[in-house]
Amino acid sequence: MPHAAGPLVRPADSAPAADHALRAAAGIGLRSPHIGKVRSERPPIRWLEVHSENFFADGGPALAALDDLRPDYPLSLHGVGMSLGSADPLDRTHLAKLKRLADRVDPVLVSEHLCWSGVDGRHFNDLLPLPYTEEALAHITSRVCEVQDVLGREILVENVSSYLGFAEATIPEWEFVAELALRSGCRLLLDVNNIYVNSINHGFDADRYLGSIPGDKVAEIHLAGFEASGSYLIDTHGAPVAPDVWALFTRAIARFGPRPTLIEWDLDIPPLDILEREAATAQAILDESHVVAR
Amino acid sequence: MSSLAELQRRFADALCAPEGEMPAFGVAGTAPAPERMDIYRRAIFANYRKAMAATYPTVQRILGDAIFAATVDAYVRAQPSASGDLNDYGDTFGAFLARHPPVEALPCLPDVARLEWAIDEVNRAAEGSLSPERVLEALAAVAPERLPGITLRLAPRCRLVTSDHPIMSIWQGRASAHADDPRAPTNVAADKLAVRRDPDGIVVERMPGGDFAWLAALAAGATLAAAIDAAQQADPAFDLGRTLHAQIGNGTIAAIVE
Repeated sequence: MPHAAGPLVRPADSAPAADHALRAAAGIGLRSPHIGKVRSERPPIRWLEVHSENFFADGGPALAALDDLRPDYPLSLHGVGMSLGSADPLDRTHLAKLKRLADRVDPVLVSEHLCWSGVDGRHFNDLLPLPYTEEALAHITSRVCEVQDVLGREILVENVSSYLGFAEATIPEWEFVAELALRSGCRLLLDVNNIYVNSINHGFDADRYLGSIPGDKVAEIHLAGFEASGSYLIDTHGAPVAPDVWALFTRAIARFGPRPTLIEWDLDIPPLDILEREAATAQAILDESHVVAR
Repeated sequence: MSSLAELQRRFADALCAPEGEMPAFGVAGTAPAPERMDIYRRAIFANYRKAMAATYPTVQRILGDAIFAATVDAYVRAQPSASGDLNDYGDTFGAFLARHPPVEALPCLPDVARLEWAIDEVNRAAEGSLSPERVLEALAAVAPERLPGITLRLAPRCRLVTSDHPIMSIWQGRASAHADDPRAPTNVAADKLAVRRDPDGIVVERMPGGDFAWLAALAAGATLAAAIDAAQQADPAFDLGRTLHAQIGNGTIAAIVE
């Protein structure tokens, strides 16, 4: 694939335009091993996403790095710990910290996961699967509304990879995801790798999933690598994006049009240029679809 | 039909159960439920091991990777996370190690962990202090007869750590934590340490007894007069003027409250 790094988008020129600056841009999930290099070299990455919780601190070097990068890169905050689907009350302290961070860095996008992380005050700090029932849908819808009310902005909610489904489930995952967006007014962060991983782990048709998602609700796409373990695919974020996932991404973009797309890598994190290369591959697919759309 | 809360409770119990165990909730289709549950069980423990290794690199170095991993697993089972933010996890690891029989041959370990947690906290703490010039101005503005009754506040990015073991040298890798190691110090004075975040990074400083007692009293909310008493008890030669200027100058004393 050709390298398609375009000019750096300067949010100073486009800050009020919300995520328009990112509409057809591939970015990178910024993790701690690369923060120093990005700060010193300012590579032409089109946008950055960080895990919100890693910047919940009251002060210190992590937050200083974010303040330093913010003028040069559009930024997205991606939460991993809100536990939107938990039966426990929403953690107001956690939410207040997210609001404080969002007020500080003025992100173009704020996202959370369609999952739960703990119950009865016992947290597992992982993205656990929800039973796709009417009760769970009503519950998470009200929670997303609560979060959006407190933040005073729309959030994106991301579909997660999962390794088991509940016998109690009555709604297919894709309908649950689409319905959440329609009922709560949130938009979707569609993780195409997670759709692929789940299609293998649970035996469904990934294209049917894509076909059930309202395109105007898709505000961002995630891409990452999985690893096979026996008859399952494990969403490790520790490998390049798989060929089947690139193909599914290309079909998703053909269906929805170009969307801000992000490369995630969280395990055995490689040098930054590998991530830039993955982003360039995504960018080429976005650019091509742009041409077709015109 | 189980409620959402009930299903989540059963899922949580299944996560804590040993690998291979059947979860007590219905899994869709003909899927091999224990095998699928194991994927979550493994991922969760791996995640905590990784996070704890980032916070406690010295404890990990002392124990070795395998024993460290087993110790973290035991800690996670004994004291599950209470926060959705993984960065909050691990604050009680030092106290846990002090009551964990498999590591009792390493009496320094709980204090090494407390030092590493202090470093972690300091790294995330607010700036929260007046400049040394402003603190000195505020101090100069206090009427002399009121001075004994004022309190001096420590900056949030400072912590005090004390130990009967040479934890600073162990943390620096210059002393062994293992008592039978020839590198283990033979005559050891207690370590009284100040941990501070400076603009260039974390500073761990060994404090004279009087200075430490003075700061510890202030940190506990003592008045200036009471803190001086505590310092002089620890060290009759305690020099208030020198310590005051040093601790204001390095940003440890962050504010003055009359």
